[in-house]
Amino acid sequence: MVVWALVGGPMLLGVSFMAAYSLGLAGLLAHGLSFTAWAAVLRDRVTWISLGFSLWVGAASLGASIVGALLVLALRPAAAMAGEAVGVTPWFLPIAVPPMVAGLTAVLWLGNAGELARWAYALGWIRRPAEFPSPLYSRDGLGIIVTQTALVLPFLVVLFGRLARLHRVGELVEAARTLGASPVGAWRRVGTPLVLRAAAPTLGVYFLALSGAFEIPLLVGASYPTMLSIRVVQLFGQFDLSTRPQAYAVALLYTLVVAACSAIVLRARPRAARSEGA
Amino acid sequence: MRRAAGIALWAAFLAPVALLLGWSFAWRWPWPAPLPERWQASAWTGLAATGGLGAAALRSLGIAGAVALVATSLGFVTSRSAVEARSGVALRWLLHLPFALSPVVLGVGLEYSFLRAGLAGHMVGVALAQGILAYAYAVILFCGLWNARTRAYLDGAATLGATPRQAWIRVLLPIARPLVVLCLVQTFLISWFDYALVLLIGEGRVATLTTSLYQFLLAGDLRLAAASGLILLLPPVIALAVRAQRRPPTFAGEWDL
Repeated sequence: MVVWALVGGPMLLGVSFMAAYSLGLAGLLAHGLSFTAWAAVLRDRVTWISLGFSLWVGAASLGASIVGALLVLALRPAAAMAGEAVGVTPWFLPIAVPPMVAGLTAVLWLGNAGELARWAYALGWIRRPAEFPSPLYSRDGLGIIVTQTALVLPFLVVLFGRLARLHRVGELVEAARTLGASPVGAWRRVGTPLVLRAAAPTLGVYFLALSGAFEIPLLVGASYPTMLSIRVVQLFGQFDLSTRPQAYAVALLYTLVVAACSAIVLRARPRAARSEGA
Repeated sequence: MRRAAGIALWAAFLAPVALLLGWSFAWRWPWPAPLPERWQASAWTGLAATGGLGAAALRSLGIAGAVALVATSLGFVTSRSAVEARSGVALRWLLHLPFALSPVVLGVGLEYSFLRAGLAGHMVGVALAQGILAYAYAVILFCGLWNARTRAYLDGAATLGATPRQAWIRVLLPIARPLVVLCLVQTFLISWFDYALVLLIGEGRVATLTTSLYQFLLAGDLRLAAASGLILLLPPVIALAVRAQRRPPTFAGEWDL
């Protein structure tokens, strides 16, 4: 009951207020029930582009991280724990990096005048900063995806490594190979499904968190299209207060999407756990 | 071979930190020089001299410390009821929702209520908003504590005549100690890393290290931004260094509910 109150209470308060404000029932602009803000948001192409862009960035960041982490485990399982001689695996290091610092580091490394561009100049590949193919501020979100992948991939290497040990994936892959499977086939058909199934709920929540990221898109994202989190802050922070109901409508729309997706992701978990136990 | 791979990995992961260090000690680093033209420590002495950033660092520390203490204490005490709740799936969904949802959405939703309550633009308001995330995390983490073995220990203590209070202090706390330490560190970092809630609930009146870093970056002062970034890295790096000395509990408890 206490847990419901301490987490659910503020969430319910926030959602109720967003609904009331966006419908003209609360806040500074309350003039009675009105669907104007919702109609404007749902008709606005930018809303759907931002939602699609957020989901694309989340899926691409997570997809690249999953592929990278599985490759690390498949090619050199010991690499997941490499460097542990000093007591802690270096794969843990990016977990210690705040998103704001990750964004700053991306600017310093990957920007047009960043360190890589300077090396490219020293090697004679470019003559001006503008010639460097920086992924930052691109409309396809590549800068955000690269930076988020750099943070998430190491975490997934650690997570998958632990899950692989927990589910004895190494032994099962070996067994598959003794039965005639190729190294790639054994990992593709035995190792990868086992690890991904065990990690599915975490990956689902991670996908939603990456889709709603704020700091990294703020620092290395393009001004258009923007992630939905940036769109909400843009609408919310304008001097013209008339856009606030729209900000609340977009925020509530995103809340509903995430709530539905996370319910699906987390409901799937006990079934997976049951089948593992069987 | 494994040693070489380890060294290569450490080098790859430490390179960004080295770049931050380079920028924080650079006097001038014009394009296209791969290294600074001259070195100096003015960014660091400037940080020390600038009262604003010192105060921001202390504020971050204070907010994160309070969030960690309160969230860990509450999470530890209330996690058992979460495990024993009939509505397990729904509660698990609710506890994960603050993480799945963008902090921006959480902040936008809470801002007006906090404003009416006089909490917006204040450290306490920021700490309370971050506390929702931190508390949810603490409950998720401590749910892993309430397994059959812990219950057996508590039942055994009760059978031997221990009062509930004695069982908690003499049996449960020693078992839970590694998880409590882990929870304190993680909830501290949830607050320490946060920018969105500080921005929205703080309304620009609560300056922390993350907001200062963004301001330096906006102003184009990469040296001060890099120095702020390095300060932000300090607590998590210290936590990792401590982890290197003492192994924490397995991940299993962290993800199971």
